[in-house]
Amino acid sequence: MNFAVLADQFWALTLTGISLGLIYVLVSLGYTMVYGVLRLINFANSEIFMVGTFATVIMSTGVFGYDINSETLHGAKLIFTMLACLIASMLLSGVAAVLVEIVAYRRLRAMGTNRLASLISAIGVSIVMSEGMRILTHSRPRSSPRLLEKWSFGEIAGANFRIDTVLVIVSSLILFFALDRFVSKSRLGKAIRAVSMSEETSKLMGINLNRVISATFLIGGLLTGAAAFFYTTVYEMTKYNVGFNLGLAAFTAAVLGGIGNIRGAFFGGLTLGLIEQFASAILGSQWKAITVFVVLVTVLLFKPNGIFGEAIQQTRV
Amino acid sequence: MSEKVLELKNLTMKFGGVTALNAVNLHVNKGEICALIGPNGAGKTTVFNVITGVYTPTDGEILFNGANIIGKKRHHITGLGIARTFQNVRLFGEMTALENVLTASDVHKKSGLVGALFGTRRARREERESRDRAHELLEFMEIGHRSDQLGKNLPYGDQRRLEIARALGTEPQIILLDEPAAGFNPAEKVALAKTIQKIREKGYTVLLIEHDMSLIMGISDRVVVLDFGQKIADAAPKEVQNDPNVIAAYLGAPSDAS
Amino acid sequence: MVFSAKRYSRRGYDVSEELNLRDQGAAMWESWNRPKRVAFAIGVIFLVALLPYAADFSITSVLNTPITSYQSVLVYPVGMFVLMALGLNIVVGKSGMLDLGYVAFFAIGAYTQGILGTKTGLSTWEILPIGTFLAMLSGLLLGLPTLRLRGDYLAIVTLGFGEIVRLVALNSRETGGPNGITGIPNPTPLFGQRFTLDNPKAYFWIVLVMILLVIWMIRRLSVRRPGRAWEAIRQDEDVASLMGVPTLKYKLWSFSIGASIGGAAGVLYASKIMVIAPDMFTLNVSILILACVVFGGMGNIWGVVLGATLLAYLPERIRFITDARQLVFGLTLVVVMNVRPDGLLPRKKREKIAVKDKE
Repeated sequence: MNFAVLADQFWALTLTGISLGLIYVLVSLGYTMVYGVLRLINFANSEIFMVGTFATVIMSTGVFGYDINSETLHGAKLIFTMLACLIASMLLSGVAAVLVEIVAYRRLRAMGTNRLASLISAIGVSIVMSEGMRILTHSRPRSSPRLLEKWSFGEIAGANFRIDTVLVIVSSLILFFALDRFVSKSRLGKAIRAVSMSEETSKLMGINLNRVISATFLIGGLLTGAAAFFYTTVYEMTKYNVGFNLGLAAFTAAVLGGIGNIRGAFFGGLTLGLIEQFASAILGSQWKAITVFVVLVTVLLFKPNGIFGEAIQQTRV
Repeated sequence: MSEKVLELKNLTMKFGGVTALNAVNLHVNKGEICALIGPNGAGKTTVFNVITGVYTPTDGEILFNGANIIGKKRHHITGLGIARTFQNVRLFGEMTALENVLTASDVHKKSGLVGALFGTRRARREERESRDRAHELLEFMEIGHRSDQLGKNLPYGDQRRLEIARALGTEPQIILLDEPAAGFNPAEKVALAKTIQKIREKGYTVLLIEHDMSLIMGISDRVVVLDFGQKIADAAPKEVQNDPNVIAAYLGAPSDAS
Repeated sequence: MVFSAKRYSRRGYDVSEELNLRDQGAAMWESWNRPKRVAFAIGVIFLVALLPYAADFSITSVLNTPITSYQSVLVYPVGMFVLMALGLNIVVGKSGMLDLGYVAFFAIGAYTQGILGTKTGLSTWEILPIGTFLAMLSGLLLGLPTLRLRGDYLAIVTLGFGEIVRLVALNSRETGGPNGITGIPNPTPLFGQRFTLDNPKAYFWIVLVMILLVIWMIRRLSVRRPGRAWEAIRQDEDVASLMGVPTLKYKLWSFSIGASIGGAAGVLYASKIMVIAPDMFTLNVSILILACVVFGGMGNIWGVVLGATLLAYLPERIRFITDARQLVFGLTLVVVMNVRPDGLLPRKKREKIAVKDKE
C-alpha cells in the first residue's frame, strides 16, 4: 500500500478524478434515467458508450480524413471539427439507445413478461453490439487523432490544468446542468419524472408512455455519446470492449448516488472518479477494476438506496 | 371473557409524511368473525400488511396470543398461525391449484431439502399427509375438481377460493381475508358468506376486510371501523350501522339523527 | 417452432396443443408403467454412453468436428456445458435469480484441482469433493449478503463476483498469475479406464455420470418441498414469504447447489486440460452457460440439456460460427427472449401433465 504516492500527487489525482468522474456522471445518467422510468438496468448502455467512441473516431478519421500523424487544428477549424465529432457521437449513441429500447425492451414490456427476460434480452443486445464491433475491428484498438493540441494552462500544487481536462470538466458541467434544468422545467422532463414516480397514473393522465420511454433512452444516449467524445479526446483511443469497464463504473456511480436520482448520479460519478484515482495510487492500477466492484458490492449490501436514492427493494402487496 | 388471539396496541404506521395508521387499538377474539371496514384509504390493508410483517410499524405493539410479533420474519409469522389472502388475487399462477396449497402447507414440515433428496421416511410421510390435506382443503372450498389446473387458468371465483384454500393450507389460527368478495355477483357473495361461516365452524378465527355491508352485517360478530387511519367504532354490527360517526365517515357529511 | 403448429378444428378451436410433439411425448411417457420407463431410461443412457463412438461410422461421421477431436468436444464444451447449464438452471430457471458470475464457481473448482493437484499428491478423485465443497462454500458466502437483493442488482453483484475471482486469479502469485497453472495431473485410472490425452472417452463417461447424478438430484428435489419453494420464490417472492416459505434459506440452497455443480465441473475440466489460466474463466463463459439455460427453456431439465448440447456443439461443427460464437450467443439471448421467453421447451405445459405423474 503506497500512501506516499497518494500524498505526493493528491491534487493531480483529484483533478483527474474530477474530470473522469464527470465522464462517469454523464454515462451514469443513461443508467439512472432509464431505471427511473422502467425500473430496469439498461445493460447495453456500456455498448452505447462504445458506439459513441467509434463515432468520434470515424468522424475524425473517415469523414475528415485525419490520422494520428496529422497536425493539430486551430481556431475555427478546430472548433468546427470538434463540434462535428461531438454531435456525431451524441447522435449515434442516441440513435443506438433508441434502437436498444425497441429491440431489447419494448416487445417484452408489451408482453408483460417478467423482468428476467428483459434483463437477459438487454444482455444479449449488449453482446451483439460489442461482438459485432469486435469482428468489424478484428479485435484491434483504434486510435483517435489528436485534433486538439494539449497545452497546459499551468500547474497548481501538482495538478496539471490541461486544455482537454478543462474542456471535459466545463462541458460536462454544462451538459449536466442543462439536463437538470430540462428535467425540472420542460414538459417532457416533467413527463419523465411523472412516469418514474408512477407509470399507471401517468398513463391515466394521458402521457404517451412509449414516447416518454423512448425519449428517456434518447436523452441517456445523447449524454453517453457526449461522454464518449470526451473520453476519446482525452485517451485518444478506443476498442470494442471499452464499454465494459466504463459502463460498470458508471453504473456503480449511479447506484452510489441512488439509482433513479439524477442529482445523485452527479454525486456518485464524482465520488467514484475520485475513489478510483486514489485507490489506483495506493494499491496500484491493476486493482482499479476490483476497487469499482468492491465499491458497488459494498453500497448494494449496506446502503442499497445509495446516498440519496429510493429503496430498491420495495415490497408490493 | 374470550381470549384475544390478535391484538394491536397503539399501532402507528407512517410512510414518510403520510400517517397510514394512527394509534390504532383493536383486537380479535378467538373463534369470532371480525370485520374491518372503512372508506377507501382508511388503512385497512395496511393493518394486514403490518400484522403479517410486510411493514414494520412506526410505533405500537402487535400481540399474537400475547406475544409481540413485531420484527419477526414473515414466514415465521405465518408459521406461528397467521394467514392471509390479498386484495388483488396473488396466486402462484403457474402452479396447479394443488401445488399452491401444498406450498402453503410446507410451512409446518420438519423435513426440508435433505429429506426431499434422500427420500427419508419422515419426508415421505409428511408429503403424503400434506397432499391428503391439500385435497381436503380444495374439496372444502369446493374446487376439488380444479386440483390439476394451473392457477392462472382458473375462473375468477375459483381463484379467490383457491387463495383462501391456500391460506388455510398453512394451518393458521387466524385467517385475514382481504376483500374476498371483490368482483362477486350476489349469488356468489351468499355462497362466500356460507363458506366463511364454515371456516369459523372449523375453529378458525377470521378477520376480514370487506365493502359489501350486507355480507358483513350478515356474518360478523363484531365490526371495527377505520377512517383516515384511526379507529372510529368497534361494536356489534347493528350498533355500528347506526353509529353517526360511521355514517359521517362514509357519507362525508354530518348526519342527521334518524 | 418445429414442435408445434397452429391448427384449427372444424369448429375453429385452437387444437395446436394436440399436435405438440413434446406434449405427445410427455403423454406417452405418462402412459407407461414403471418397468417400461426404467427400460426406456436405461436404453437412452446406453445410447448416450455410446456417443463417443458415433463419429467412427461413415453414416454418422457428419458429426465430426473440424478443429478439435469429436470425442474431446463431447467432454468440453458439450458435456461440461450441459452439466453447468443444469447447475445454473437451478438458480436462474427454477428459482428465478439471475446469476451472471457462474464462471467463478467453475474457476474455483478448476484452480482447486490446479493447486492441489500440482502441490500435493492428491488424486483428482480426492480433490473432486474438496473442489465441490469449496465452490459450494463460496456460493454460500456470496449468497448470504447478496440474495436479499432483487433481480437486476443480484445480477450485477454476481457479475462483479465472477470478475473479482478472475482478477484475483490474474494478479495473485499463488494462482500463477496470468500464466496460470501448468502440469495439472490427469485423474488416476478408474474401472480400468485410463484418463490420458488420447482417451477423452473416459472423461466423457465421468461427465455423463455426473450429469445423470445431477438430473436425479434435481428431479427428486423438484417434486417436493424444495422445488415448490423455488417455484414460489420465482413466481412471487413476496407472497411466497407470506405463505410461509423461508425464502432466504431456499435461495441460499439453490445458489449453493448450483455453485457446487460448477465447482465439480471445474475440477474435472482442469484435470483433463492440464493447463489453466485466468483468461479461460471470463464473463463470456457465464454468458454462454446462461444462454444455454435460456435457449433450452428455463426450469425445464430436458430443455436445458437440449439447449446446452446444441449451443455447445454447433459452433464446433460449423466453422464460420466458431469465430462469431459470442455474437451468435448474444443473438440467441435476444431472439429467444423476444420470441419465446420461456425457451425452446418451456416449463409450463409440462406441469399440467407432470402433475398426474405425481399422484
